[in-house]
Amino acid sequence: MKDTFTMDCPQPRLLDETHQGVIGTGMDRPDGPQKVSGTAPYTADNPTEGVAHGALVRATVTRGRVAGIDRASIANLPGVIDVITDPRMTRNPAQGMAGEAPVQPGDAVHYHGQPIALVVAETFEAARDAAQRLKVTYTTENAAVTPENGEHEVGEPDAAGDFQRAFDSAEVQLDREYTTPSQVSAAMEPHAAIAEWKGNEVTLRAAQQMVRFNKAELADTLGIDESQVRILSPFVGGGFGSKLGLGPEAAAACIASQKLGRPVRVVMPRQTVFDCVLRRSETKQRVRLGATKDGRLTAISHDDQVSNLDGEGFAEPTSQASQFLYGADGLSFTQTVARIAATPAGSVRAPGEAVGMLAFESAVDELAQELGMDPLELRLKNIPATHPLDGRPYSVRRLADCLTGGAERFGWKDRAVKREGDWLVGMGMASAARSNMLVKSAARVRLTGDRAVVETDMTDIGTGTYAILAQITAEMLGLPPAQVEVRLGDSDLPGASGSGGSFGANSAGSATFLAAKDLRGQIAERLGCAVDDLTLQDGRARGANREVALSELVEAELTAEATIEAGETAETHFSSGFGAHFAEVAVNEWTGEVRVRRMLGVMAMGRILNEKTARSQAIGGMVWGIGGALTEEMVNDSRDGHVVTRDLANYHVAAHADVPRDMQVVFLEERDDWANPIQTKGIGELGISGAGAAVLNAIAHATGVRIYDFPATPDKVIAALEAKG
Amino acid sequence: MYSFDFARPTSVADAVAALGQEDAQALSGGQTLIPTLKQRLASPSVLVSLSAIADLKGVSAEGGTLSIGAGTTHATVAAEAGAYPALAELAGQIGDPAVRNRGTIGGSIANNDPSACYPAAALGSGATIVTNSREIAADDYFQGMFTTALEEGEIITAVRFPIPEKAAYIKFQQPASRFALVGVYVSKGAGGVRVAVTGASNDGVFRWSEAEAALAGDFSAGAVEGLAAPSGADMISDLHGSGDYRAHLVKVLTKRAVAKANG
Ligand SMILES: Cc1cc2nc3c(=O)[nH]c(=O)nc-3n(C[C@H](O)[C@H](O)[C@H](O)COP(=O)(O)OP(=O)(O)OC[C@H]3O[C@@H](n4cnc5c(N)ncnc54)[C@H](O)[C@@H]3O)c2cc1C
Repeated sequence: MKDTFTMDCPQPRLLDETHQGVIGTGMDRPDGPQKVSGTAPYTADNPTEGVAHGALVRATVTRGRVAGIDRASIANLPGVIDVITDPRMTRNPAQGMAGEAPVQPGDAVHYHGQPIALVVAETFEAARDAAQRLKVTYTTENAAVTPENGEHEVGEPDAAGDFQRAFDSAEVQLDREYTTPSQVSAAMEPHAAIAEWKGNEVTLRAAQQMVRFNKAELADTLGIDESQVRILSPFVGGGFGSKLGLGPEAAAACIASQKLGRPVRVVMPRQTVFDCVLRRSETKQRVRLGATKDGRLTAISHDDQVSNLDGEGFAEPTSQASQFLYGADGLSFTQTVARIAATPAGSVRAPGEAVGMLAFESAVDELAQELGMDPLELRLKNIPATHPLDGRPYSVRRLADCLTGGAERFGWKDRAVKREGDWLVGMGMASAARSNMLVKSAARVRLTGDRAVVETDMTDIGTGTYAILAQITAEMLGLPPAQVEVRLGDSDLPGASGSGGSFGANSAGSATFLAAKDLRGQIAERLGCAVDDLTLQDGRARGANREVALSELVEAELTAEATIEAGETAETHFSSGFGAHFAEVAVNEWTGEVRVRRMLGVMAMGRILNEKTARSQAIGGMVWGIGGALTEEMVNDSRDGHVVTRDLANYHVAAHADVPRDMQVVFLEERDDWANPIQTKGIGELGISGAGAAVLNAIAHATGVRIYDFPATPDKVIAALEAKG
Repeated sequence: MYSFDFARPTSVADAVAALGQEDAQALSGGQTLIPTLKQRLASPSVLVSLSAIADLKGVSAEGGTLSIGAGTTHATVAAEAGAYPALAELAGQIGDPAVRNRGTIGGSIANNDPSACYPAAALGSGATIVTNSREIAADDYFQGMFTTALEEGEIITAVRFPIPEKAAYIKFQQPASRFALVGVYVSKGAGGVRVAVTGASNDGVFRWSEAEAALAGDFSAGAVEGLAAPSGADMISDLHGSGDYRAHLVKVLTKRAVAKANG
């Protein structure tokens, strides 16, 4: 393998000079026909000879110990094979990029709904039936289940300047508290795993986002070497963070399969997904802003309280974007984590921004109102020269262009509250920001004649990885994309970043690019020209006054593998996607219903690799924004912490009927030279960040009232309207 | 789901006999009962399907009365109850196509879910619930959340609606299930004005008598305007809306329903 390439300085924009012309186009996904025809085999779809079915038995107490499991209580049920308990079983999914086993609680119960055993049977139905009938006794302990009652760990503030002084002396002050409920990823495909042992080696088919990390997590969980583990996740039906880490269903399937000597499949029913997959924490946020009368921000503070279960290192990074969007003389951000006995919290799409920006961008909007200023102007006026906390320059930032360009397209300056019968119509906007990352990633590209194969353990969780890696390779090697095969989600292939934090395309894409670039060097050598003189297009190589078909030039396979990791540019420059969201809503003054009429997101997120899949990601994010603003709310019972909203009828994800037909996304041309050698930035999560705030600000514009407890459901809207009178 | 025996009689008499067995329960469209069994909230030892009884099916209008067999699906009512348009429209808005093609009026009325639509239509029209042994006025039939005047083993065979001069139903949908968060059924006919509310009260469907009195003299949305909304204290408070919000909606939807009934 080649040395690792570290991103220490800007790289030439090679993808702008190549000739195939496929990069950036809205090419259809190569896996699209399989997906829409139902022939793409998702984990649970794989027929497995002799497979037994497992159902997780879950705790019905909040905290305590399993005192006894009465195996006899289900022994006579037809089809039941065994009840598996094991010290290696896990309490919840690993946190993203943990690379080690999650908590293995033994007989301890830490939250209501925690997996405590696996019932294995000949059919799924028998296993589920027996898991529900199994008699379990517990000893119980008291535990706090609400953040108010939990133990509070108060963090050190991230700060610059003297916030308190700046705030106290500000000409205009705003001090508001916001709350957001827990949320779930609610991926369409429930968590699923099929495990099978051969000797002392296990193969796990699983719905996972980060195979390289999951392999290490599984080996550590089982107490075996990584070389004994193979994970296959070629198709994943949505993740949104919930499949970042190895889940309890996967650990249980492996353990049961080992004990029983036959393959075991464990698929979580939807209710189990709600109960024991990592949720997004509820938040309580306090935003304080100080400004001069003419709208210069002087003080910014965004403090938050989130929750998690003991032993989980993750804390929703609520104020992430608030720390670098606008500048002030004094800034301060303090986080408090409340320890509670409830389904643990972890990364859910756009951790931090998804809920933090609802509050922060609402506050900025309200400040504009207090100042009598256009909220667009207030934002434009406070774009800082450098990162407000550490002074780093931004890599490339088109926030102002997004704001002004979006305002122009959306008709912002003509906004006026309109009344249409019972409906009050208004417009809102918000900035969008989502910091950008590069994570260690490897890929291999093999070329034989005019056909290439890309190999990496990177996943495609519905995002379009199959498409973009084919496009990058096709562009670099001058091939029609149909001549590039992409193989993903196999832990035996070079280890990638995995899909998470919107860094997958940057990272795995860059590794693929570097491997293909290496092949360009090898081709140039064969052709006898300098690599700078090489032109590759439509399967032909040109250079040094020669033109040869690749099918002739590359008769024996050429291979290149490349690994990339972040380097000095990550220290010297701050990279983030930026954008602006605009929304027009209608609020019914009698029922409090909010209908989103149209939305526009203008985003600058580096080079766009595939116009179509990028757009899908951005629109999907904006739909999440609607959900966060208006409908999504996970409820826990305040007595024992159990999840009350355990299905998609009680946890309402914005559906087609909630989403306007007029959802526009505009990408501004951008290259981030400091980010990675393909000049891209993360895409998926920027679409959410700020989108919900635009909706909420539009409600405020339409009605003149603000809501501080999200989502803004009709009852809250009516209560606010009635309070105003 | 627990195991059970299954009977599929072809006459009402046989069904009544089958329901005489211990822990027997009637099954109609199954849109409520099957999920209930799956969640293990009920465990009858015998399920008596009413779906093969021809006498329980069909819609007929005669002399100002619309009769609907208890085993008639929501989809059939939507398509065939043209003589009573407000009722046909209500049926056409229940759940989704799968629910409408399986679920029946008898099952809905027997179940008396506090958020169901048909109870509002029956109470709001002054309908008569016909069973294998008697006739029950809607005013006497609905006795609180999931509670009715039906005796053990008694089967609804039909529901008879007097066709009013004017009627309308407005439901505010819970966005995911399309059940009524609150639904209001108003009618004006020979028996006077009726306003029946579903989805709101902890006691199930009820008549909002203040509104009926106000509308008796002046059947217009304006007549409701001056009324105070009913108290939110007895209303359902849950994930989808507070009691106060539901109370507020009762008034809003009543006005809308009256306006709609007036065309
Ligand atoms: C997704 C979904 C959405 C829905 N949305 C709505 C909605 O918007 N509005 C609405 O009103 N309803 C809604 N429903 C409920 C639906 O209308 C049901 O079909 C109805 O409540 C029950 O009718 P059924 O024929 O399915 O009865 P079943 O489920 O078969 O039976 C229900 C109960 O009635 C008893 N029963 C059935 N028939 C008789 C009879 N003839 N005599 C005596 N007892 C009997 C059964 O023993 C059982 O206790 C929805 C259901 C679902 C699943």
